[in-house]
Amino acid sequence: MAEEIIEAIERYGLSKRNRKRTLFSRIGVVGCGKEGSLIATTAAFSGMEVVFLEVNEEGIATAYKRIEAKLDKKISNWGLTENEKKVIMGRITGTSNYEDFSGCDFVIEAIRYHDNTGVRRIAQRKEVFKELERVLSVSAIIASNVSTVIVTDLAAELEHTDRCIGLHFLSNVPDSQIIEIVPGLNTSNETFEKVCQFARMINYDYIPVMESSGLVSIRMFLIQLNEACGILMEGISSVEDIDKVLTVGFGHRQGVFRTADQMGIEKIVRLLENLWDEYGSLKYKPSPVILRLFRAKHFGVSTNRGFYTYDEQGNILK
Amino acid sequence: MNILVLNCGSSSVKYKLLDMASNEELGTGGVEKIGMKGSFLKHIRRDGQKVILKGEILEHQLAIEYILGVLTSEKHGAIKSLEEIDAVGHRVVHGGEKFNSSVLITDEVIQRIVECIDIAPLHNPPNLAGIYAINELLPSVPQVAVFDTAFHQTMPDYAYMYGIPYSLYTKYGIRRYGFHGTSHRYVSKRACEFLGMDYSNTKMITAHIGNGASVCAIQNGKSVDTSMGFTPVEGLMMGTRSGDIDLGIVTFLMEKEMIGASYVSTLFNKHSGVLGVSGISSDMRDIENAIKDGNERARLALDMYEYRIKKYIGSYTAALNGIDVLVFTGGVGENQTKSRQKICESLAFMGVEIDKELNAVSRGKEVLLSTPNSKVKVVIIPTDEEFMIAKDTLEIVEKK
Repeated sequence: MAEEIIEAIERYGLSKRNRKRTLFSRIGVVGCGKEGSLIATTAAFSGMEVVFLEVNEEGIATAYKRIEAKLDKKISNWGLTENEKKVIMGRITGTSNYEDFSGCDFVIEAIRYHDNTGVRRIAQRKEVFKELERVLSVSAIIASNVSTVIVTDLAAELEHTDRCIGLHFLSNVPDSQIIEIVPGLNTSNETFEKVCQFARMINYDYIPVMESSGLVSIRMFLIQLNEACGILMEGISSVEDIDKVLTVGFGHRQGVFRTADQMGIEKIVRLLENLWDEYGSLKYKPSPVILRLFRAKHFGVSTNRGFYTYDEQGNILK
Repeated sequence: MNILVLNCGSSSVKYKLLDMASNEELGTGGVEKIGMKGSFLKHIRRDGQKVILKGEILEHQLAIEYILGVLTSEKHGAIKSLEEIDAVGHRVVHGGEKFNSSVLITDEVIQRIVECIDIAPLHNPPNLAGIYAINELLPSVPQVAVFDTAFHQTMPDYAYMYGIPYSLYTKYGIRRYGFHGTSHRYVSKRACEFLGMDYSNTKMITAHIGNGASVCAIQNGKSVDTSMGFTPVEGLMMGTRSGDIDLGIVTFLMEKEMIGASYVSTLFNKHSGVLGVSGISSDMRDIENAIKDGNERARLALDMYEYRIKKYIGSYTAALNGIDVLVFTGGVGENQTKSRQKICESLAFMGVEIDKELNAVSRGKEVLLSTPNSKVKVVIIPTDEEFMIAKDTLEIVEKK
């Protein structure tokens, strides 16, 4: 028997049926840091092709490493197999060229906080939106991973503002599968519905949230953290014991200080300041305990010291 | 009459076109990686030539469209037009308690299959996608659903119930359903034909052992017990599934490894079994090679795999008060001569005796392995689920 015959499949189609791509078969992520890599991995895990953008080759290589580390962790926790990892990695492509987003029907901007200062770069993010509008088709959705930034503001200078929307992936507790979906002033219903569908496709819960600084998650968390710092400062209880009350007593997966260390103290300070600016309420003023850690550059897990002390793997030492 | 058999998985569609009058395979193959990068259709023509068609195949409907396109194409096809397909038979994984036999697909049947999604969230949706696609592409062609679970619906309640609060059965339908039903039904029936025995008056055990594996106790043509349960993870140790396990281990591990439901499911379904124990592979050929190289864990994995099969055959022999026929089928059951020999030798206490030389050269064909002295007839019957699905489809469509 002769060897296998290999041909292209297209000519064997039956109908003239409109063969447009299914929704979200290819998506883009701008910035593949902590949150961007979470989004890329999650989407690829659900079968989507993902293109992520980083500034240069080095950034791309680091992002690949970050994604791989995430998947390896999942394998060591029994949640994934080596073969599945290969398939997922095969769906993810890194680039530093916006043109490579062409053909994506959904791109999420997730530029990370500045590594040292925790400052989110609004001007830069506006530029990203403009670049995206340049390369994407009119029907493609442009989203921003936001928590205190207002998406209407980011989208203001675009031509088609109805396709812009905000998303907030909660990334601080492993496998917390929920997104806050934040329509801006000009976001169309169609865009909102499609993004809800995206959430369902990646097997995430979602809640719609009115455009506001801090949304539900960040406001709830920061207030609790500030109060916990207050209790600490008054000498009423210890870091470990306050976390214990939350985990054992209230059934939280992890305590508020542990979560803060994972988020990064530098980021928390900026978030609190943003809320303080926006609402002017004292409850958002960063507690002196947080500021003390910030000034000492004890940013949490990333620097091995925050409310707790950590080893290189991020396990609590004390 | 030409019947198209479809088996739709989450990212694959397997198909076979059969001419039932001549019993001839007109074309067979499968689409892989639906919705992913690198999707392709592999078609084997009637003359045996393999054809690979590469291109984007985003969903089941499109996959089936290409399958129909290839089957009717001048170059590789077997039929001239779609009108030559008289009926379509679908493999449907879970029929719950709603189906105890194959049925003609109607809107009501579809609704009932939809209702079973709760207990088969991974399998029934792609099966339904196949049914919807045919509805659209071949609207006038009758379709039949053949369920993996239907054959086992004859089990008595004391065999299918679990020892947990009864309210969980009424609330969620938690009970043993069993799987591989089409295979167990085909090989048991075929074994009786092959041996010239009366199917309605024979006690038999069928061992479908491959990467997925289950054993079935069949009394007078009816399944009375089977090793897979509410899901396919129960029973024998398999390629990557643990099989029977102490529930205490599950809760212990959830606590110790701090993992939740989906991770636990992956652990016992994908990281366990022969792969998990050996650390090498889920494929028995790799395990055999590793044993030859002196790998101890590969040997352990194989010992466990075979021991579990022996245990199940022993317990089902008790359940049936003795057996007349033992059937081996499935990839390992049909081809793994050493395992077959070891299992049969370990059953000597119940009068099983096989011709070792014959066993050593028998692979993938119907053979009577037992000696005339053996109290139990031991046979290999290669499984043919597609043929069974086509046969059911033919019968139902003709009755219509």
